[in-house]
Amino acid sequence: MVCKRRVGLAVQLVIALALLVPASAGAQDTIGKWVDVFQPSVLNQKQQRQELEWFKQAAEPMQGLEIKSVAEGITTHKWEAKVLAQAFYEITGIKVTHDIIGEGEVVDRVQRQIQTQRKIYDIYVNDADLIGTHLRLDSALNLSDYMKGEGAEVTNPMLDLDDFLNPEFGQDYDGNQLQLPDQQFANLYWFRYDWFTDPKYKKEFQDEYGYELGVPVNWAAYEDIAEFFTGKTIDGQTVYGHMDYGKKSPSLGWRFTDAWLSIAGVGDKGLPNGYPVDEWGIRVDGKTPVGASVERGGAANSPAAVYATTKYVEWLKKYAPPYAASMTWSEAGPTPARGNVAQRVFQYITWLSDPAFNSPDSPVTDATGKPVWRVAPTPHGKYWDEGMKVGYQDAGSWTILKDSVTGKYRKAAWLWAQFCVSKSVCLKKFLVGRTPIRKSTVFSDYLAKEEEKGTYGGIVTFYKSPVEHMWTDSGPNVPHYPLLAEQWWKNVALAVTGEATPQEAMDSLAYKMDDLMGKMRLNQYSPKLNPKKSREYWLSQPGSPKPVRSEEEPETMPYDEMLKKWKNQ
Amino acid sequence: MKKRTLGLLAYFIILAVPIYWMINTSLKTDNEILKQLTFWPKDPTLKNYIEIFTSSIWRNSFFNSIVYVCLNVLITLVAAVPGAYAFSRWKFRGDHHLFFWLLTNRMAPAAVFMVPFTELYYTMHIYDTHWAVALAHCLFNIPLAIWILEGFMAGIPREIDETAFIDGYSFGRFFRKVFFPLIAPGIGVAAFLCFTFSWIELILAKALTVTEAKPVVVTLTVGIGAEGVRWGLLAAAGVLTMVPGAIVVYFVRNYLAKGFALGRV
Repeated sequence: MVCKRRVGLAVQLVIALALLVPASAGAQDTIGKWVDVFQPSVLNQKQQRQELEWFKQAAEPMQGLEIKSVAEGITTHKWEAKVLAQAFYEITGIKVTHDIIGEGEVVDRVQRQIQTQRKIYDIYVNDADLIGTHLRLDSALNLSDYMKGEGAEVTNPMLDLDDFLNPEFGQDYDGNQLQLPDQQFANLYWFRYDWFTDPKYKKEFQDEYGYELGVPVNWAAYEDIAEFFTGKTIDGQTVYGHMDYGKKSPSLGWRFTDAWLSIAGVGDKGLPNGYPVDEWGIRVDGKTPVGASVERGGAANSPAAVYATTKYVEWLKKYAPPYAASMTWSEAGPTPARGNVAQRVFQYITWLSDPAFNSPDSPVTDATGKPVWRVAPTPHGKYWDEGMKVGYQDAGSWTILKDSVTGKYRKAAWLWAQFCVSKSVCLKKFLVGRTPIRKSTVFSDYLAKEEEKGTYGGIVTFYKSPVEHMWTDSGPNVPHYPLLAEQWWKNVALAVTGEATPQEAMDSLAYKMDDLMGKMRLNQYSPKLNPKKSREYWLSQPGSPKPVRSEEEPETMPYDEMLKKWKNQ
Repeated sequence: MKKRTLGLLAYFIILAVPIYWMINTSLKTDNEILKQLTFWPKDPTLKNYIEIFTSSIWRNSFFNSIVYVCLNVLITLVAAVPGAYAFSRWKFRGDHHLFFWLLTNRMAPAAVFMVPFTELYYTMHIYDTHWAVALAHCLFNIPLAIWILEGFMAGIPREIDETAFIDGYSFGRFFRKVFFPLIAPGIGVAAFLCFTFSWIELILAKALTVTEAKPVVVTLTVGIGAEGVRWGLLAAAGVLTMVPGAIVVYFVRNYLAKGFALGRV
């Protein structure tokens, strides 16, 4: 009995001693260990140590705290969950569960947390597309104020907001940072560089169309190229000049809400989103949305929007593989990797980190495993004018819901967010998931060397280019993103199936958006619809909505020449 | 006879196609799945299964599902057996209406209960626990179990109860020794149906869990993201999701045949 008690005491003593060993003794080694993991980095090892040391000290009052964050299932976030959460825990003592769920589910939970004010997660990585929703519901923590006030001591002195590629994605009309980008990926034009530079095809194209085969600058050229390649036999298989998807499912909405109309030229000039009419065709007066239909000054059913829909349906039917129309977004994403597609106007670059596009046995890489495809700027439609945005970038951004997350949980969440976007880890994170957020990452020497080898198929080149800022997310004009986004696929699908003409489909979408906006009662800048006027009145006003335009002259530019031009700017 | 055999054979083939397809897909690489249609894996791989077994997320999800499903079946049977006995043996005012009302609960759309349950469980501090989902599923499973068991019990002559009491059995002892063995097939059927419902239910399971009790049905939906669908992984998870159901069927198979013949299924 006594013996047993002694053993018990001894065990307790050992455990107590183990707990008493100061955490700091191992911390230095811990930081060293993680510095080794986070290589390459834009910081030198000394600076990395300094930054990680700061995290350790700032987190001291929160040691032992457990927080939950959430993000959608892409490689970048999975790496955060697996590696960064572990690193953060070892360095700061704050335990993070970085939950990975579907994107739709993230949006559902954001809404549920806002409505019920019950905390589900301490911090979300949520698309900056919701910026208009957050600023009107007054739901997101104003990070600009927080960094200056309550959160000053937990704000990383090395955060360097100016180094972010597009901090404006997460800003409200007044430049307040409500969301901070954690990963972003553009939607670009994808093409088979090897075919486009093949002298045989170049000559054939020149003879047939009278201008040079190259990266299409506008839709007229894209259409010619699509027609040129469709039905050709290359490498023993029939190829197509276009790839898209058209299944009646929620993902069809993204094909449009991710700025397809702005690519056609629907909105007004002005970056990031076009003002007063934006990429969805919603007009705002000051900060108040006043309508989406032309009759109320919007452009969702304007000639430009109808042209965008018409071309989408026409190309899908004429130039895409026969199975494209029945595919969803997820299914269509990797199909260009099959090697039978010459170009794609709407390609998210997240797909391009997939082995299907990069492995040596892929039909779209050469013998050394280097891509024979490239990405280039999205060609624009005939309504597009200089000074407008020209494409879409998705920016998963850190968002703290202010009513349900307070005090030390808020601080811990903010620390975790900054850790995931810190210069110490950003370059490494890019190598894993190819979703850059910092200028220092894309302009790093390391990536410059890789770029010369042709590793990324032009992704880094695009991010370094002077045009990158023209690819933006959905802006602050959209008053309630989840509700309005849902209307798109239901209406656009009518045009795909032929149940309605493109004009009827866009009319029904625009009126539905007006109807919903008219019923909204949001905390601030709630929509207030313009009185209806005739279409002619609005179409004759300057700017968007724009009256019918005549066809444009096709224009292309050789990819290599474009690179030279960028370098000289 | 021959016609019947052929018909049955065709029926089983049609039934087996999705299962074969899922197993086939789970043994392929995503590259092969997306590239062409193949009836068996060209280059079989266990990578998808290995990923599931080595990932703590998948392991925890399976564990969470099993825990709350078992909890739910247990709670359901404990509540439903006495309930069904009462309905089958005693007449009281409004018993038919009450019985029918119970059944209508089964028809309620789960989505309606999402917000109230979330609020309730938050207040009770059991949100995002196994208990939350187990209790929520009772709403659907208890009426179902009562309905099935009542059918069984009604088929057992009341004289058996009376004889037992004349023989001096206490109610508890009678129930254990005499009545329970008689309704065992019914309990088997009820348990099986409750298990399958709880195992595949998604709406409430998704709404009432976050990370601590995240079930496999929710983890399955994560495979669909901005990088597309990981078909092989989803198929492997799908195959593994069928396994517990198959095990349950194996154990209650003898009761099932009897149960479906006797009860109100």
